[in-house]
Amino acid sequence: MGAEVIPARVKIGQRRRFPLEAMQAYLFVLPAVVIIGIFKVFPAIAAFYMSLFKWDVIQGAFRGFGNYTDWLYDNSLRSPDFWRSLSTTFTYVILTVPLEIAFSLVIAYLLFQKIRGRGIYRTAYYLPYVTSFVAAAVVFNWLFHPQYGLVNALLGVVGIGPQRWLDEPSGFFQIVASAFGIALPEWAAGPSMALVVVSIVTVWHYLGYQVVIFLAGLSNISNEYYEAARLDGASERQIFTKITLPLLSPTTFFVFTIATIGALRSFDTVFILTGGGPLDTTRTVTLLIFKTALQQAQFGLGAALAFILTLIILLFTLVQFRVLGRRVYYG
Amino acid sequence: MRLTAAIVTTLMLVTAACSTAAPAPQQSTEADISLSGPVSLTLWHALSGPQQVALDAMVKKFNDTNGKGITVTALNQGNYTQLYQKTLGAIQAGALPDLAHAYESFVADYMKADVVVDLGPYKDSAKNGLTKQSQDDIYKGYYDTNTFPQYGNKLLSWPFTKSLAVMYVNDDILKEIGKPTPKTWDEFEATAAAVVKKDASGKVIRNGFALNTDASYFNAQVYSRGGSLMAADNKTVAWNGKEGLAVLQMYDRGIKGGWAYSPAGFDYQNDMAAGKLAFFLSSTSTVPFMKDLADKTPNFHWSIANLPQSDPTKAKTVQFGANVAVFKSTPEKQLASWLFIKWFTETDQSAQFASTSYYMPVRASAADSQVLKDYWAKVPQGKQGFDLIKVSSPEPNVRGQQDIRDVILNAITSVATGKATPDAAIKTAGDKSNQILASAQ
Amino acid sequence: MATVARTFPRSTPRPRLRIRGRTIALHAFLIVVALAVAYPFYFMVTSSFKDLLEATKNPPDVFPAQLHPENYIEAWNRAPWGRYFVNTIFVSIAVTIGELVTASLAGYAFARMRFPAKSVLFIVFLATLMVPSEATIIPNYVLMSPSRNGCLGLPCLGWFDTYQVQIVPFIATAFSIFLMRQFFLSIPSELSDAARMDGAGHLRFLWSVALPLSVPALITAGLVTFLGSWNAFLWPLIVTTKPDFRPVQVGLSAFRQEAGSSYHLLMAASTFVIAPIVLLFLVAQRYLVQGIARTGIRG
Repeated sequence: MGAEVIPARVKIGQRRRFPLEAMQAYLFVLPAVVIIGIFKVFPAIAAFYMSLFKWDVIQGAFRGFGNYTDWLYDNSLRSPDFWRSLSTTFTYVILTVPLEIAFSLVIAYLLFQKIRGRGIYRTAYYLPYVTSFVAAAVVFNWLFHPQYGLVNALLGVVGIGPQRWLDEPSGFFQIVASAFGIALPEWAAGPSMALVVVSIVTVWHYLGYQVVIFLAGLSNISNEYYEAARLDGASERQIFTKITLPLLSPTTFFVFTIATIGALRSFDTVFILTGGGPLDTTRTVTLLIFKTALQQAQFGLGAALAFILTLIILLFTLVQFRVLGRRVYYG
Repeated sequence: MRLTAAIVTTLMLVTAACSTAAPAPQQSTEADISLSGPVSLTLWHALSGPQQVALDAMVKKFNDTNGKGITVTALNQGNYTQLYQKTLGAIQAGALPDLAHAYESFVADYMKADVVVDLGPYKDSAKNGLTKQSQDDIYKGYYDTNTFPQYGNKLLSWPFTKSLAVMYVNDDILKEIGKPTPKTWDEFEATAAAVVKKDASGKVIRNGFALNTDASYFNAQVYSRGGSLMAADNKTVAWNGKEGLAVLQMYDRGIKGGWAYSPAGFDYQNDMAAGKLAFFLSSTSTVPFMKDLADKTPNFHWSIANLPQSDPTKAKTVQFGANVAVFKSTPEKQLASWLFIKWFTETDQSAQFASTSYYMPVRASAADSQVLKDYWAKVPQGKQGFDLIKVSSPEPNVRGQQDIRDVILNAITSVATGKATPDAAIKTAGDKSNQILASAQ
Repeated sequence: MATVARTFPRSTPRPRLRIRGRTIALHAFLIVVALAVAYPFYFMVTSSFKDLLEATKNPPDVFPAQLHPENYIEAWNRAPWGRYFVNTIFVSIAVTIGELVTASLAGYAFARMRFPAKSVLFIVFLATLMVPSEATIIPNYVLMSPSRNGCLGLPCLGWFDTYQVQIVPFIATAFSIFLMRQFFLSIPSELSDAARMDGAGHLRFLWSVALPLSVPALITAGLVTFLGSWNAFLWPLIVTTKPDFRPVQVGLSAFRQEAGSSYHLLMAASTFVIAPIVLLFLVAQRYLVQGIARTGIRG
């Protein structure tokens, strides 16, 4: 890696200079090695160590993988919480990632046309991303306020009754169906209204970021393809589906991967908007880790859960690369 | 008659002597030593704003006047959750403060690491403790809540910032509809329903009751309906019986009947001040916030009263609020810590702190203090709360109680949002809580 | 990913939409979406100038009937905001500078120097990107706690309630190192040859040739780091409790509890917390947009 940069003729003096250069190189990487070693690598090893013990306030008996099996199946108080939070986490991924990609792809494509005011639009779309989630949550908590919220006021105009939004544990499909007088069974209730609102806010927050990445991807597609297509008399729609989409697939795949990992790992968004409620319907795995470790003082169980999540993210990323990565068209 | 009295008295004295004399000879305990030199102590707490100012003033007075060279430094550690998290971290590192503000559930967790000092010997120490009369001046509930059945009935913390669950009443609305403050739950429901006012479109613009999802107010209602919270052996919960069911059923009727709603955040305070709400349940520590709103709102009158009761002659409510625990260190530091909290809860200091912090006094005799009388003259709601201490009881302090509170919150939310019937909710919650208790043993 | 890592040429001619009607429809769509995205900001700023009564009016007025700039003064006076801002600015700048230094040095070494175990080290660095912070937050928390008995076999740092607890762990990230390495790799080797002929060492070459050529990369990495540091929430929440060291985001979160239902004050506080970073973004927008396109960092 990087060795090819050094021209061949330098190699004559290499043997004499090598120790000096290596010493110097170590000095160059030393600050990074120390910081990453102490604050990233060491804590990861320590967390794994903790996860092997009963660590209830203080270090207790060695449990092997007991904390892991507690979460997976062994403990009737823990494992239902785990599976439920895992399903909430995946629901959150399904609610946010496709929407983010669809919206940002369309907007990026439109912005890529030669139109006036592109900079202004881009700024508007990008603003949410630089806004801290704490501040965004203050505003959204209020827009979706059950009594004073603007969203309920707007719905009132079109004759829809007020909703509880972030305080609503009932399923989204259930609520929509009941508006038409249909009672849905519990298994078809869908994600809680609260989780849907959290997802909307998440999409809002990351939209501009995805737009920018798609714009970069679009600008990497050589203009010759478009010109050739136009000479052949292709329509705008054909150009989009036959040229833009396939050539953009590496970018789409990249956005898909990082958005998915981001959603699987997200904490701030949910924690600040709902804290996991109502009725634990927005409690994702990361929130469960937080509760277990830092509110119940079960450090061993918390660390084990964190490693289960790491493993899930890793597996997910690998599968994504294997299954989807192959279909990506690299031109 | 006189003979019987004499026998009973003798018996009581003998049992008392046995129970105190039995464990260890008094002179050899750490509680009876004297300080040999200056001691500095650190107190971690979660008070902020005016209450932190009140505490700092008390601490300064203690440092200036204790005459034994004890210096206390009080440090705010964020809110209660953050204080708890930091204390857990300090346990890992073996770097605890000398004293910490703590709820009962915190103390139960800290005891897993066996780091909390038993205050019983200090309280009873002939040399440094409290006289019998002085001990009896402190409300019994405050001893109960700090005595932990799962840790050998030791006294592991001391009352510090106490308050009560009470009902806040919008006096103007009751006056307008010509009804008194309800004394029973039946009267309460009738009054709350009569309060409701709707606009032309049928939207409710004045509501009866803002229901609170916090477990403490559920517990207070269980008490007020004559129920209890824990079985006698502390192994199962007792609120899942008919009293707890009645609480959830009333919430259900309130939501469905349109006279109750579940407010977001602290909206109920604004709503009451704006004349849109007749009743809510909250802590006596909400008084300063309501007073602040009332000062800004012309012609708004409010009061606090005990919760409605099933049997008003046996009225009951919940007392809660945090305590202070002493961590194991050196005998001298532990003694100095005890001397500080002993001083803090003497009559004068208790009255002084109650008048500046809005918390409840720890002693009955504080009521005779001029400081408190002056304060009550300005804020009559303070006295209205104080009068309820004698009918208040603490909540359970068993391990797992913190998780049980979440279970209760979920039960209330599921009823308030129509996700479960009261019967189903109380059954699920009771079963889950018993499971938590079993696993926390 | 390699495709994305390239910068996009600003001069690329774009496919042109021919029909005027479609252009109008296009703008209409973009404006509607932009309004929906930007509305919360408008709402926040206008609400911050209303009194409580008007702020809780439903439906809300588009514009305050009367401006109440005193909300800002009241919100500002109810919490030690000045302190919070000083803390955040100091921490963000320190983290940014620290990270640029470590990333430049390490990135350069990985790009242009030879040393044993280089590939292994680089892979370990990249692997740290895969471990979620939730896994390491507990040991990190313990590591920072006050020292007496030692923490997990290491001496505890005792850094609760300090600046360094918010700075030091973040002054080196694999991502910035990776980014800088990519830039240094793209510097033509003729330049380094020439420098070597002149007898310049690596440090001299880095300082006087490589870094000046990498100013865009430095600005990009710096802005992204600054943004992340400015908006950091969970870590400072856990490891600080005194206002003396707390950053604005944690202060705003605490203010939400304290202000309760005083929504107009909450909106004023949110506005002044967001304002500096929005202004910074508007000024430096071009670099940040390029930076994201180049690295794909999701904060």
